[in-house]
Order: sequence, then structure tokens, then C-alpha cells
Amino acid sequence: MLNASYVGRSLPTTDPVEITAESVARFAAALGLSGVPAASGAVPPTYLITLTLPAAERLVDDPDFGLDWSKVLHRDQRFAYHREVRPGTSVTCTSTIESIKTVAGNDLLSLRTDVADADGLVAESWTTLFVAAATDAAGEAA
Amino acid sequence: MKEFTPGDVVFTTAFPVQRADLAAYAEASGDHNPIHLDRAAAEAAGLPDVIAHGMFTMGLVSRAVVEWVAESGLEASLTDFSARFAKPVVVPAEGGTTVEIEAKVRKAEADSVELAITARSGGEKVLAPARATLTARS
Repeated sequence: MLNASYVGRSLPTTDPVEITAESVARFAAALGLSGVPAASGAVPPTYLITLTLPAAERLVDDPDFGLDWSKVLHRDQRFAYHREVRPGTSVTCTSTIESIKTVAGNDLLSLRTDVADADGLVAESWTTLFVAAATDAAGEAA
Repeated sequence: MKEFTPGDVVFTTAFPVQRADLAAYAEASGDHNPIHLDRAAAEAAGLPDVIAHGMFTMGLVSRAVVEWVAESGLEASLTDFSARFAKPVVVPAEGGTTVEIEAKVRKAEADSVELAITARSGGEKVLAPARATLTARS
């Protein structure tokens, strides 16, 4: 089980990372988006997950929180875009634990990650992770 | 965007999905969870076979939306996009699978349109409807 006292906490903001044209092109190609005329030059709609999920994954480094990434399934995802994000922009991510709900020993962990560039907030990403209960064997080992 | 009528189907499309697509997505996204690449790892996690990343399926939905916006010449940006990964997209080694996508108008406002988008694979609805809001560029 996750440590519910972490609700409301934010992880330290990540260092700025430049969104490179190469990483965007690779992501677009993997979804078959490379042939689509991108009128605005914005990154693919789900591209920010490549930054927001690793930012949140740092929670596994905190043993007091109790998150085992091998037990995690992605359940819900939402993005809100305040401005279009283009390659060449440098952004930071700030992840906040919004809620933890426990159902039959499994946890639903909801996180919000704010994505900001030099001018402020550009997008928000909400991720809910299903975290399976530890098995008995794992419980004994722990 | 009052030219759109709630309930109308605005596009349907289908994308084939092979194991190689999941490997390419794992590389591009940095999500190397082995349940998306290796049958033994998927089975160890209680799954019938390798499954697609939820974000791969959501990415295919985003592709369908982006293609539709480009084809219809809409001057609009995707401002809100959400999905729940209701059922896994199972991708067998032989033949892969297909993801079928259908988008309906949910709400039309003066400067935006919200779509409700279903995705089906292997006879199952794999997303509790995704929602996409397109907002006119000012």
C-alpha cells in the first residue's frame, strides 16, 4: 500500500529539458504521424507523456512512499494544453500527488504534472495509475 | 463551431498494430515495460499475451484526430484530451491486431467542439470513451 500521507505533496521541479526535433520526429513516426501535415508545428498530442511519466516515476526512489513500478498499470490519462508546445522549447515538470484511493488492497494513484516553459504553464497532465496489491510472497519478502 | 451536430459521427478509421509497432513506440516513448514486448513477461503479469501501451492506443486516437483536422481544414488546436484504458489491446506475435476508432460530436460550442471517441480491438471497447476538445485558433 502507498503512503497516503503523501497526498498533496509535490516532487521537486525537474531541470529544464529541451524538446528536440529528433525526439518529436521519432515519437511521431512510432504513431504513424510523420506523414500528417502539422499545420501548427505543435508536438504530437500525447508527446508530453515522455516527460511527465518519467518525472512522476521518480516517486519510486522514495522508499517511504512504497511505490513498486512493476505493479503499475496506466489507467487514466488527460492532457490540457494552455498553449501549443513546439520542438526547441525547454520545459520543466512538477508532479503533485492529487489522491490515493485504496480498493481491495490495490491503490489508485492520481498525479498531476504541470509542464512549464520560460513563459509559464503550457500544459497539465493528469495520470491515474493502478498499483496492484503486493502478493503474499512479496509481502513476506518485504 | 456550431456547424457540428451532437451525436453525428465525424470519422471512423482503423489502424493495424503489430509487435514491431510496440517496439518502436517503446523506443520513442522510453516506456520499456516488458509486458509490451515479451509474452512471458505479459503472462507473468497475468495477461493473456503482449498488450499495447495504453499511451500507444491513445496515441493512435490522437493520430486519427490530427488526420481528421488536417483533412477537414479545421483551424483548431487540441486543447483537452483524455482517455481511460478500460481493456488491454492484446497484440499476438502472428498477425497482430487492429484498433478501430469512431468519433462522434459530443458538444459544439461557438469556438470549440468536443468529440467522444471509442476504440475497439479484439471485439472489446478498449477505451472508456476518449474525449478530445478542439478549440478554434484565435
